[in-house]
Parts: sequence; structure tokens; C-alpha cells
Amino acid sequence: MRKYISESQLIIVPAMLLLLISCTPGSCFEETESYVKASFYDNVSKTLHTPDSLTLYGLSNDSMIYNKTTSIQPALIPLNSSTESCTFVIGINGASDTVEFQYNSFPHLISKECGYTFYHHLDTVLFKNHAIKGVYISNKTITNLNVENIRIFY
Amino acid sequence: MWRTFAYFISLLVILAFSQIQVQAQDTIPIPLKINIGLEVSGPVTYYTNKNILNAEGYISVDLNEKRSVILDAGYLNYKYSQYNYSYLNKGSFVRIGMDFNLLKPDKSQGRYWAGIGLRYGFSLFNSEVPIFAKLNYWGTTVSSISAKTDWAHFVEVSPGVRAEIFNHLSIGWSASLRMLIHTSTGKDLLPIYFPGFGNGTKRVSTALNYFIVWNIPYKKIKVILKKEVKEDTEDNGDINNNGTNNTNSDKQQGTGIRQ
Repeated sequence: MRKYISESQLIIVPAMLLLLISCTPGSCFEETESYVKASFYDNVSKTLHTPDSLTLYGLSNDSMIYNKTTSIQPALIPLNSSTESCTFVIGINGASDTVEFQYNSFPHLISKECGYTFYHHLDTVLFKNHAIKGVYISNKTITNLNVENIRIFY
Repeated sequence: MWRTFAYFISLLVILAFSQIQVQAQDTIPIPLKINIGLEVSGPVTYYTNKNILNAEGYISVDLNEKRSVILDAGYLNYKYSQYNYSYLNKGSFVRIGMDFNLLKPDKSQGRYWAGIGLRYGFSLFNSEVPIFAKLNYWGTTVSSISAKTDWAHFVEVSPGVRAEIFNHLSIGWSASLRMLIHTSTGKDLLPIYFPGFGNGTKRVSTALNYFIVWNIPYKKIKVILKKEVKEDTEDNGDINNNGTNNTNSDKQQGTGIRQ
């Protein structure tokens, strides 16, 4: 009696399928950092307005995030996942202010390749009212996605 | 989620109870079997990579020459680590469903199977992230996620083939396409890998399984082979390209029904 499934079919077909389904690269190509995405607005016209220069650094950290940098819109502000608040010194067009973020952090899996990061739930944003005239929280969940979180009016 | 589940169950029921219309008469004996299968690629993989132990097997019972019910169960012990985290997952799963043989009875003869399986799967597992590290502007934060028991359920479509190579012994393979319905882990801590499904970070996963199957015949049925009659055209004659008349040209096919 003739065989309807040959031994060669039993081996070759799954081998081809294995080739098709097993070609997953093992590198991380996704954004792994959860920044506060801060857009800058003109306090008078209430429209999007990019500062001529922007300076930003952490209060207890000497390393500059932005140093009189031009054309930053939005600014990407990294929070400290080891603490529940952190403060930054911000310079907008030469005028200085401090801005404090209060938040909760929780772990989030990005992917098998990239591993884990921290997402944050933003509670409060405090500022000294020098360079910054107002802050509006548009999205309280700080993730690695490109979504605006706060609007800074100056 | 429940709509997908209900649709899948409905599809199983419809396929299980659908009947084929009879036209005529030759019969063929088909042995119905209880099949006990062992998945062999899991132990082979473990031999080369001690971080993944996947052991699974199944028992299926032929209902007729086309359909069989199947219960598939297994155990997974999975360990993974890379430069910024390590992950552990340990647990068990069951899959229940039905296999449909697409071969005609005169070709399958109870020895060959080429068809498709539909399954519903449930997985219970314990996962843990002993360490993960995140580096950013403020330095490196080292943390961990403690062990937690979770569950997940999914559906699976698995086409494949099996052939009896010795008396009562078959080998075969199946490719599985699985779709995750829900996991209790929540969206922030999706399981990197979990029993019965595989990569839990994506909604769909694929797998390839190889089986050695012990077949135990428990009953013999006679299946009537249907004679397919070619339908006449409107003028009671089908004129082919050579101009010859093909009316009432019967062709013997193996579509069958049990007796």
C-alpha cells in the first residue's frame, strides 16, 4: 500500500517551518528610558513656543542634561526611580527656576530583549514662579512612549 | 476576550457534530485508537540548554475516522538572564481540544493523519525577577520583583502530520499558532515565557512540536466510501474542449461516513 506521508516530508516540511518561525533577532531597538516629556508654551498667547536656549540639570547632580541648548521641544526629563521626588534647575532664555517632581515608580517590562524599566505616576509638579509661570499636567503616567506629560508656560 | 473564546468553542462544537451526506456504498474498515503522545523536542532542547525544561505529552481518543478529542498537558521550568535582568518561570499547563483529519478514509486507513487541531489552553505559573538593573541620568537602580503565581489562557491552531512507522507506533510533528486571550500578570509585567504558550510578551506565539505516539486500537468501524457524481450541466451534457460528451462520468473518491 502506497504511503501518503513520506518520511522525507515528515522531516523537510517542519525544518522549513522552523526556519520561517525562528528568525527573531535578539537586540533591543526600543526606547528604554521613561522621560517626562515637557512641552514649552508662551504664557501670554498660550501657544507652543520653543525657548531660544534651555539649560537643565538635576539639583544634586552636576551633569548637564541641556546646556544652553537651542530648539528643544519637548524637553526630555529623566526621573530618579530610587526616590519619590527629584528637583531640577531649569534655565529658559537665561532666566532660572527650579522644578520639583513628586511621583511613584513601578517596574515595566519593555521586551525580552530590552528588559525592564521604571514607569512613573506623576502626582505633583512644584516650581518657584521665576522663569516658569505655570505648569499643566496633561498625562500623569510617565512611560517610554512619545506622549506629552506636562506643559511649561514661560 | 469572551467573544473570541465563545467563537472558538462554537467552532469546535460545529465541527464536531457536522455530518457528511451519503450518496453510496463501498466500505473500508478503520481502526479507532487511543493515542498517547510524547513531545520529544523539549527534552532534546534541555540536553543542549539547561535553562529551558519543557516536558509535555497528550492523550487523544478517536471519535471517528475524522475527529478525535485531545488532552495535552505539560510542565515548564524556564530560566533566562542577560546583562540587565534575570527571569524565572515555573509551572504547568493543560490544553483541550479536537483534532481533525483532512485525509480521506481510504488514504488515511487509520495509519496516516494530516490535519488540523484546535485547542483551548490554560496555564498556571510562578514567575520571579530576582534582579534587574536600570541605568539613567541619576545612576543605576537595582531592584527585583518577588515571586508571584499567575495564570493565563489562550487558544491554539495546530496543523500537522503523523504516520504509523511501526505497528502501534507513530511519529509526527505539528506547527502551533497560539493567541493569548488574557493573563493575570497585568500589562506592565507580562510573562517573558510561560508554560504551554511560549513568549508571553507578544499576543501571538508560534512553536513546532515533534511527537512519538503509541497507538492503542480499541474499536473498528466501517466507513462507507462516497461516490462523487459529477453534476450535469443545464443541457444534460458537458462538452469538453475536444467536443466529446461527458455525461454521468462517475469518479470514485474516499469521502466517507461510518457504518
